[in-house]
Amino acid sequence: MGCKFVPAVCSYCGTGCGILFEVIDGKINSTIPLKSHPVNQGKLCIKGWNLHEYINSYMRLKTPLIKEDGTFQKATWDEAINHTATELNRIKQRFGPDSIGVLVSAKITNEENYLAQKFTRAVIGTNNVDHCARL
Amino acid sequence: MDIINQVEQLFIQNKIDIFLGYKELDGHLIPHGFTPDNLDELKELKVSENRYSLEKIATHLSEKDPDLKIGIIARDCNQRALNLLYTWKQLKPENIEIVNVNCCPSPLKPHPDCSYLEPKQSGEFKKEHGIDYNAEPDSLMETFNNNERFSRWMYEFNKCIKCYGCRNICPVCFCTECSLEHASLIEPGTLPAEVPIFHLVRATHMAGRCIDCGLCEEACPSHIPLRLLYREVNDIVSDVFDYKPGEGMEKSPFTIIGDDVVLEPKPMDFQIQGEK
Ligand code: SF4
Ligand code: SF4
Ligand code: SF4
Ligand code: SF4
Repeated sequence: MGCKFVPAVCSYCGTGCGILFEVIDGKINSTIPLKSHPVNQGKLCIKGWNLHEYINSYMRLKTPLIKEDGTFQKATWDEAINHTATELNRIKQRFGPDSIGVLVSAKITNEENYLAQKFTRAVIGTNNVDHCARL
Repeated sequence: MDIINQVEQLFIQNKIDIFLGYKELDGHLIPHGFTPDNLDELKELKVSENRYSLEKIATHLSEKDPDLKIGIIARDCNQRALNLLYTWKQLKPENIEIVNVNCCPSPLKPHPDCSYLEPKQSGEFKKEHGIDYNAEPDSLMETFNNNERFSRWMYEFNKCIKCYGCRNICPVCFCTECSLEHASLIEPGTLPAEVPIFHLVRATHMAGRCIDCGLCEEACPSHIPLRLLYREVNDIVSDVFDYKPGEGMEKSPFTIIGDDVVLEPKPMDFQIQGEK
């Protein structure tokens, strides 16, 4: 039987607490706080303590979904990205860039958030970019 | 014999299937399970000043495989927790091999290897504003009257964010169903925490059970002096029943769930419904 601990950063909010996933035989079993992490110093909120649950949840999305005729259909990443790009182009051409808004998330990294706003401003051409923490 | 050799011998003599110790990863000393199929890795075995409840990890492993033979680095607090887990049938003593390490300061080693005994990093604020982390219940009882103590504890409990960290990290909290999430006692998913019921329910459960490791207090984001609370509770248990949890293999006077406690895996595997 194998047992190891994998350090990671909690993805539930922007605080960025350090956690350890307890991995038993290749499967995540629980989450514990990383004691030596400078941000949380061995403490977590209730969300961090339960971080492993969504990873093993049967409800977790493992492929992109595209809505067709009112229901979600499984799609590949290529299909999903193509579909999104085509639609964004179509909407931008027909209604103008300000008809599009981008909402980013505390659950992604600073760098990804930066890229998202760059994409919104430089590629789409609108200042309609906001963050879930302001909802 | 140094600890790496000691563990290697345990593997060679087939006494253990896995050894729970610490290793360094990206500058952090974290718990790790060393196995005989990767003996080279044993060179990285370390003792960590950061304490993790290795015995709680051992209970997770034996939930999956009750016959697994587990070696474990143990300070005094780990040893007390193991004793308690044996008496509550959460681990089988014949399946556990202990490698003792230094923790509290001693003539051999003046520097303690324990996060709790390190200079009290989080203690400064506390010294000025609240109950000292290492205060003894007796001195608290003498110094303050009932009303003062009550308002101090209510002030402390009111800071609770109901993270359940005190229970989650505790080596001796192993109930399949926890009262702290039982809707008729304490409603899960609501804030503020039920003060003082939440803390008093846990405090009564720690009577005859808390082995005074202090991990709960270290994990409490609100700096509530939980260790002091459970020390007070267990001072009473000691006075009335002459019982100190974890000191030996004697059963707690509160053992009312009988001999048939089974190791039921906690509901962490989410494969019950839907796909694998
Ligand atoms: S543990 Fe809580 S506070 Fe820390 S990052 Fe996760 S959600 Fe945020
Ligand atoms: S001892 Fe009490 S607080 Fe701890 S797990 Fe059991 S019911 Fe919960
Ligand atoms: S000090 Fe806290 S974590 Fe340790 S055994 Fe007691 S209640 Fe559990
Ligand atoms: S660890 Fe502290 S804040 Fe969290 S539930 Fe326990 S007492 Fe409350």
